[in-house]
Amino acid sequence: MRRVWYAALMVVAVVALPHAPAQAASTHELAQQFMCQCGCGLTLANCAHEVCGPRDQMLSQIRQFVATGKSPLQIRDAFIAQFGVAVLSAPPKSGFNLLAYWGPYAALGAGALVIAALAALWSRRPSAPPPVAEDPLTPEQRAVLTRELERFED
Amino acid sequence: MGEIGSLAITFAFVVSIYGLLAPLLGIALRRQDLVASARGAVFASLFLLSVASVALLSALLGRDFGNSYVASYSSAGLGFWYTVSAFWAGQAGSLLFWALLLAAFGSAVVWQHSGRRELLPYVIATLMGTLAFFTMLLVFISGPFERLAFPPADGAGLNPLLQNPGMFFHPPTQYIGYVAFTIPFAFAIAAMASRKLDDEWLRATRRWTLAAWLFLSLGVLFGMQWAYVELGWGGYWAWDPVENASLMPWLTATAFLHSAMIQEKRDMLKVWNLVLIILTFLLSIFGTFLTRSGVLSSVHSFALSSMGPLFFAFMGIIAVLSLGLLIVRLPSLRSTAELDSIVSRESSFLFNNLILVGAAFSVFLGTTFPLLSEAFRGVKISVGPPFFNQVNVPIGLSLLLLMGLCPLLAWRKASSANLKRNFLLPAAAAVLTAAALVLFGPKQPIAIAAFALSAFVTVAIGGDFHRGAMVRRSHGEAYPVALARMVARNHRRYGGYVVHIGIILLFAGMAGAAFSTQREAVLRRGETVSINQYTLRYEGASTYPTSTSLVTAATLSVFNSNKPIGVMNPQRNIHRGHEDQPMTEVAIRSTIWEDLYVILAGLGEDGTANFRVIINPLMMWMWAGGILLVAGTMIAFWPERGESLRNRARYLVEGAP
Repeated sequence: MRRVWYAALMVVAVVALPHAPAQAASTHELAQQFMCQCGCGLTLANCAHEVCGPRDQMLSQIRQFVATGKSPLQIRDAFIAQFGVAVLSAPPKSGFNLLAYWGPYAALGAGALVIAALAALWSRRPSAPPPVAEDPLTPEQRAVLTRELERFED
Repeated sequence: MGEIGSLAITFAFVVSIYGLLAPLLGIALRRQDLVASARGAVFASLFLLSVASVALLSALLGRDFGNSYVASYSSAGLGFWYTVSAFWAGQAGSLLFWALLLAAFGSAVVWQHSGRRELLPYVIATLMGTLAFFTMLLVFISGPFERLAFPPADGAGLNPLLQNPGMFFHPPTQYIGYVAFTIPFAFAIAAMASRKLDDEWLRATRRWTLAAWLFLSLGVLFGMQWAYVELGWGGYWAWDPVENASLMPWLTATAFLHSAMIQEKRDMLKVWNLVLIILTFLLSIFGTFLTRSGVLSSVHSFALSSMGPLFFAFMGIIAVLSLGLLIVRLPSLRSTAELDSIVSRESSFLFNNLILVGAAFSVFLGTTFPLLSEAFRGVKISVGPPFFNQVNVPIGLSLLLLMGLCPLLAWRKASSANLKRNFLLPAAAAVLTAAALVLFGPKQPIAIAAFALSAFVTVAIGGDFHRGAMVRRSHGEAYPVALARMVARNHRRYGGYVVHIGIILLFAGMAGAAFSTQREAVLRRGETVSINQYTLRYEGASTYPTSTSLVTAATLSVFNSNKPIGVMNPQRNIHRGHEDQPMTEVAIRSTIWEDLYVILAGLGEDGTANFRVIINPLMMWMWAGGILLVAGTMIAFWPERGESLRNRARYLVEGAP
């Protein structure tokens, strides 16, 4: 068992190691980062319109930016200057937007605490009083039934 | 026919109002005749809405372009099945479809549960109250029988995006899922209103909940398949608001299906189950609201309208009434059982619920965050796939882990021997998978984690099947017989495991996207483009008319490691009446390991053709996962021999001192 855990730790360590620097972002990868301005509500990479002027224009701009050696950050700033922050397909991680990024985790953390507290409470609670009604089974029948059900449930 | 249809909807509205009030008055005045008449009102509403639906279908199939709805969503050249699908293509038709389904399900419930005298009046009132809302929209806001002063010679036709076989199945299954959740919700309300707070409402609606979940799953899967083959961007899930709206009730309903088991087995989580089903129903209405209101822009924005405030008001009323009732009943909802240990199957279910509801919350927050940002800060922002992937991937991986842990833990309390025995193989499988991917595959941490966890869950579930079969084999049964009989004796448990295997395949398919590659190429005739082991040679393009569109198809010869394997024909279609909206028809060549996906992005006047070629790994695993999910749900749905006897035996054992 211990060997398995060592191996697991090694794998985690290898996965967590910093990887080789990523290659320059492709047009498609950049297109994922910006919303199409045609109003479809999708990214440039996902816009479903067959003919879409805003998409084609923005993709062409991205290609030009890449060709002139602009970095993804510079391309991002250029688009924000042109269209506003709503052009980004993920809101900047700052201020009010942190609520969207961290809100779910905060809620999950709070939920986990509630579950832990409830589990502690329920574990300490005395068992329910035994039923008053007479057991319809003999002790032998009950033992067989309990065994069968346990095997069935396991 | 149109007048009859219109009249039938108006009567259905009146009847549903009666069906809402009569049972409540019947209880208040102790008049059984009023309750009985409310049952009749449910059947009457089904009859009236069936008449209206037949009227709309006959107007569509009869090409009655004097009807505004028919003129907007169909045309003379539209094929039979697409003409039928125009029934739910527009707002008024889909609302009528919703109402028809609700009346049909309501009638089935009233017929099936006529013996539940205490619950049924409240069930009817809840169902008919919901029906009154939808028929009100049909009567006052958006009716499918409005006449045009000057009927056109031909209709505008169906949106080309909807002219895909998947569209024939996606909306109906999605709607069946949404509407069917009204049944467990109505029983939950009835349980609270009638103070019958034991698990009768859960048992009465178990199969309804399962069926609703199955159809919602099918709706989501058909939607994914439609997006993949029709939208032509190479993916299947764009985190579009309407897609998200279908995912949220699916997540909370999945949590409900699991936590309901805890209530049935251990008499715990009564309040939580009520909260979950209320939430699921509200999210189902929210899904319909998002599709129909147009409050958020979406690929489904062919259904914009101004009925958002009404939906919002309806959801508000439902939330206040149901949660108010829940708060009033809280003192009677105390659980009697206790949790024996935090390391038990019960607690793993609790955490599974937490993750599922957390995922629903995360999707809800992301979907509505643009509205919140604008309302609170006056700043317009967008929330697209990069955001959702970033926030939801860790949550999805936690869910995957819990899916594997759950069958390994015993009910009540897992002993260390139990843990050691059950964990060793799954953990080893996870480590080996991760190691193999680290050594031989692309270094994508999230994908590696997803595949390792998938291996963990698969081996955990396989081990559980194996252990069960071995117990039976020790009684002299052959292994395959033992396996089959074991499944036959406990459909719920093993059906659930088959669903889990389906989910693993879906996860694996999604994780496969991390290894996707793509290329764009502008080719002249005879030129080639290569991607991974494939080479595609452009052979030329041809244009030809069909009954509904003008098709331009490119021909590409495909080679796998220089060996010819076939021809692919990506197309661009121009549908009649929608000349300004040319459509891409992608060409897909699927193998068990990957899809070769080719999009004809454009044709140049100089004879060149612009292609996007994508390799999507493990797509077939996703669709196979969907099939297993359906198969597993069907197994869990199927009644078991001696089910009631076993329930009784379990009750006796659990009630023992």
